[in-house]
Amino acid sequence: MLQKISAFIALLLSWFIFAGKITADVVIVGSAASLLVTFFFSDLLFREVNHRLPWYHYLRKLTLLLLFVPVFFYEAVSAAFKVSKHVFEKNPSFNPGIVKVKTELTDITGLSLLANLITLTPGTLTLDYDRNEQVYYIHWIDVETVKQAELKKKLIARFENWIGVIFK
Amino acid sequence: MTLRILFAYFLMITGAAFAVVTVLGLLRFPDVYTRIHAGAVVLTISAVLVTIGTAVYVWEFFLSLKIMMIGMFFLFSNPMATHAIARASYKRKIVLPEQYEIDAYSDYLGRDK
Repeated sequence: MLQKISAFIALLLSWFIFAGKITADVVIVGSAASLLVTFFFSDLLFREVNHRLPWYHYLRKLTLLLLFVPVFFYEAVSAAFKVSKHVFEKNPSFNPGIVKVKTELTDITGLSLLANLITLTPGTLTLDYDRNEQVYYIHWIDVETVKQAELKKKLIARFENWIGVIFK
Repeated sequence: MTLRILFAYFLMITGAAFAVVTVLGLLRFPDVYTRIHAGAVVLTISAVLVTIGTAVYVWEFFLSLKIMMIGMFFLFSNPMATHAIARASYKRKIVLPEQYEIDAYSDYLGRDK
């Protein structure tokens, strides 16, 4: 039920944003459309929570999620400069390769979010995730090391701590 | 010409510069996977910068929110497309990175190097 209500509210808010104004006719048509989509597809947008936590935990997670946005943009821009540097070299001097990085996350939302964050950061690209061994296969544009601990520190530790706390 | 407009122009010009870098990278990098890096991933930064710059430029509540939402859709869709292209071209053997020294993924798929 909570899943359906939150999906309905999210859809209605995006309807208001795209309509550009909040008047009676927009509210009526928007609620009808959101209700229809919620009825059929609400399980695609949010998942049911398995174990409930006290409410202030969710407030803390939301704050951390908002704090994470500037951190991500800082990382992404600095990595973009690193990739752009290779473009202006006379002979692009890098050493591309595919490495294997172990992760401790188990939550499916956290895992897919981490994979997307790795892909969004320039210079690294998630190819696959192995469920049995809990490893990501990451294409890295400039392989500096193959040691597991250093790899982890260089590639995913900066995001993994945040994701691990937010999606526990 | 207020400070806000200048800031918006600064964001848009930075995004456009990153787009030029993206094109140069697409032309200059040696193989498919490194070109995907140059193409899709630097493009993310440039697209998001341009959308934020536009949102600051128009500075109207619903319009800015709408433009920011387009930027958010960039952030959702871009990594998935990048990942799908790279994984498909590896798994379907369209282009294999044969000159790589470190390639853990071919062991996982059980292929010879």
